[in-house]
Amino acid sequence: MLEIKNLHASIGNTKILKGLDLTVNSGEVHAIMGPNGSGKSTLASVIAGREDYDVTDGEINFQGNELSDIGPDERAREGIFLAFQYPVEIPGVSTTNFMKTAVNQIRESKGEKPLDAVEFLKLMKEKMKLVNIKQELLSRSINEGFSGGEKKRNEIFQMAMLDPKLSILDETDSGLDIDALKIVSNGVNALKSKENATVVVTHYQRLLDYIVPDFVHVLMDGKIVKSGDKNLALELEEKGYDWIKVKN
Amino acid sequence: MIDTVDLKKSISIEEDNIIKEIKSESLDKIKLSYKKYKEEYKYTPLLRNIEKKYGSFNSSENIKKADSYKDLISTKDKHYIVILNGSYIENISNIPNSIDIKNIKDLSKNEQNIFIDSYSKIDDSTDDIFSSINTILHSNCLTFKINKSTILKEKISIINIVDSSKPTYFRKCFIIDKNSEISFSEEFINVTRDGNFSNSVTEIYMDENAVFNYFSTQNISKNYHFNSINVFQKRNSTSNFHTYSFSGSIIRNNLNIKLLDKSCYANMYGFYAIKNSSHIDNHTSVDHIDENSISNEHYKGIVDDGSIGVFNGKIFVRQRAQKTNAFQSNNNILLSDNAKVNTKPQLEIWADDVKCSHGCTVGQLDDDALFYLMSRGISRKDAISLLLSAFSTDITEKIADKVIREEYQLMILKELEDLNYE
Ligand SMILES: Nc1ncnc2c1ncn2[C@@H]1O[C@H](COP(=O)(O)OP(=O)(O)O)[C@@H](O)[C@H]1O
Ligand SMILES: [Mg+2]
Repeated sequence: MLEIKNLHASIGNTKILKGLDLTVNSGEVHAIMGPNGSGKSTLASVIAGREDYDVTDGEINFQGNELSDIGPDERAREGIFLAFQYPVEIPGVSTTNFMKTAVNQIRESKGEKPLDAVEFLKLMKEKMKLVNIKQELLSRSINEGFSGGEKKRNEIFQMAMLDPKLSILDETDSGLDIDALKIVSNGVNALKSKENATVVVTHYQRLLDYIVPDFVHVLMDGKIVKSGDKNLALELEEKGYDWIKVKN
Repeated sequence: MIDTVDLKKSISIEEDNIIKEIKSESLDKIKLSYKKYKEEYKYTPLLRNIEKKYGSFNSSENIKKADSYKDLISTKDKHYIVILNGSYIENISNIPNSIDIKNIKDLSKNEQNIFIDSYSKIDDSTDDIFSSINTILHSNCLTFKINKSTILKEKISIINIVDSSKPTYFRKCFIIDKNSEISFSEEFINVTRDGNFSNSVTEIYMDENAVFNYFSTQNISKNYHFNSINVFQKRNSTSNFHTYSFSGSIIRNNLNIKLLDKSCYANMYGFYAIKNSSHIDNHTSVDHIDENSISNEHYKGIVDDGSIGVFNGKIFVRQRAQKTNAFQSNNNILLSDNAKVNTKPQLEIWADDVKCSHGCTVGQLDDDALFYLMSRGISRKDAISLLLSAFSTDITEKIADKVIREEYQLMILKELEDLNYE
């Protein structure tokens, strides 16, 4: 589904990703771990198509298409979803209105007819249950004045609404208490299928008790330096990232 | 200095003695107002442009038959007032019974005195050169009398038609009697192929407990437009001004509100979205003269291409005006490197028990927000429209009437579609 080869990305003169390879197939859950500043969010943003980053070398293929000339809106329509580490607050636009526009633009791009108000409300109600989010919150300005947990639940709610093929969850666990963590993880697990794939970015092992990965990768200094199964996460938790540095 | 020969000639042919006197007084002040011009119009070279284009300030009479303007009336409006180059066109207007519109010269002596008392006491008459020129050169001062305890829920639409190759002058004087509540919307339409200079001065006198709602839409791409509104409020009265500007060669809006008594309430809201080489200048002032009054002012603007936005907000709080609340802010988004905004608050406070705040911002479209919206599948163009219309909501939501609010929101959406953002 996703195939990244020798990816180099920089912002201004700062090189951040320095030759990164990653392959994700449908049905799989991958975890990307790494210390702060190693380039995890950059990788997530570059896959989602953020234009502030320059891809100076390498390529990203998604379902057989090379993405370099494709904007973030089209990538989303192809099925890529990014749950932001820091969800943006947008005064004056409600999440409901936002999602209605997004869902219908995606439908339109597939040649499907837009949902009417009743159909949309039905879809919303169904997905709201999944992450235990209230309608009142969704009728407010996007993320404005939301608590950390509410913002993260809103991300997973949007993911549920858009039903993506590849979901990238950037530090979705950070700032969540254990109850919120369970709600968010249950939501993600409920959305999992053989047809889609999930990339979980985190620097704590804790989340991986709830969203169990098939593969764990360690990202350091812009490269994946080690890959393994879920036991690698436990080992990292125990020994810290220095353990890998020493080994290399 | 401006050429006063034409101005003098115009005064000499005035037949009404009282009006002649008022005009002469304005002429006497013109030197003074020219001096002020240089400071007050620092970012808006209106005078130079008018002189270059027309040579003279004189107007000419229209020739076309009134009926030919009927198409300009929106079918949505129940009540409308059609004004052509400053003259009231009664036979194609439709006004409610509770309002009386007359040229000041056609009023009885008694009625005339009521208006003359207020007429040309306009706030900026001694300061503003264009107001002075309007006083000297206008030929029809239309008087609007709203009788005591008149409550009209539906707004009345004022359609000002500009059809002349020479400058045009519009002059209005409203008296809103005690306990009345009334709403007007006003628009200027230029039907000529070329631009025009339209100069409009309005005075509004609000008696105790009166409520006055005013909506202005400005979309006159080729026009030079001067619009001065001067408001005088008595105890417990409330004024709500909503000014929406979308295009104009140069538009200068003066909005001056004097809160003469205790417990007055004034709200000034404005939104502008301009492109190409449009130039919008909003100069406002609110003068708190007595205790316990509240003024709120919020203007927001989106400035694209090579267009220019100017905002200047003066707040005066006199020594007697204790317990005043005065708030002001102006926020701008620049969509292009060539767009410009000049924004300046001016506060003069002599009372000590006062709550006052002001703030100006000039920024760009939020790139993080744009990426966030696009990352959910929304096209760049639609994401921009969403963000820009969201930027306008804290202005439009101040319109209390739902129907009018939605009308303006729709109008803004349509205007925003035409903006460019790279
Ligand atoms: N917009 C930016 N401008 C400059 N440097 C950036 C920018 N975004 C990220 N970086 C730098 O790139 C590196 C990787 O950042 P990031 O991808 O956010 O790491 P992580 O998510 O792994 O903590 C950091 O050193 C960070 O300072
Ligand atoms: Mg990060």
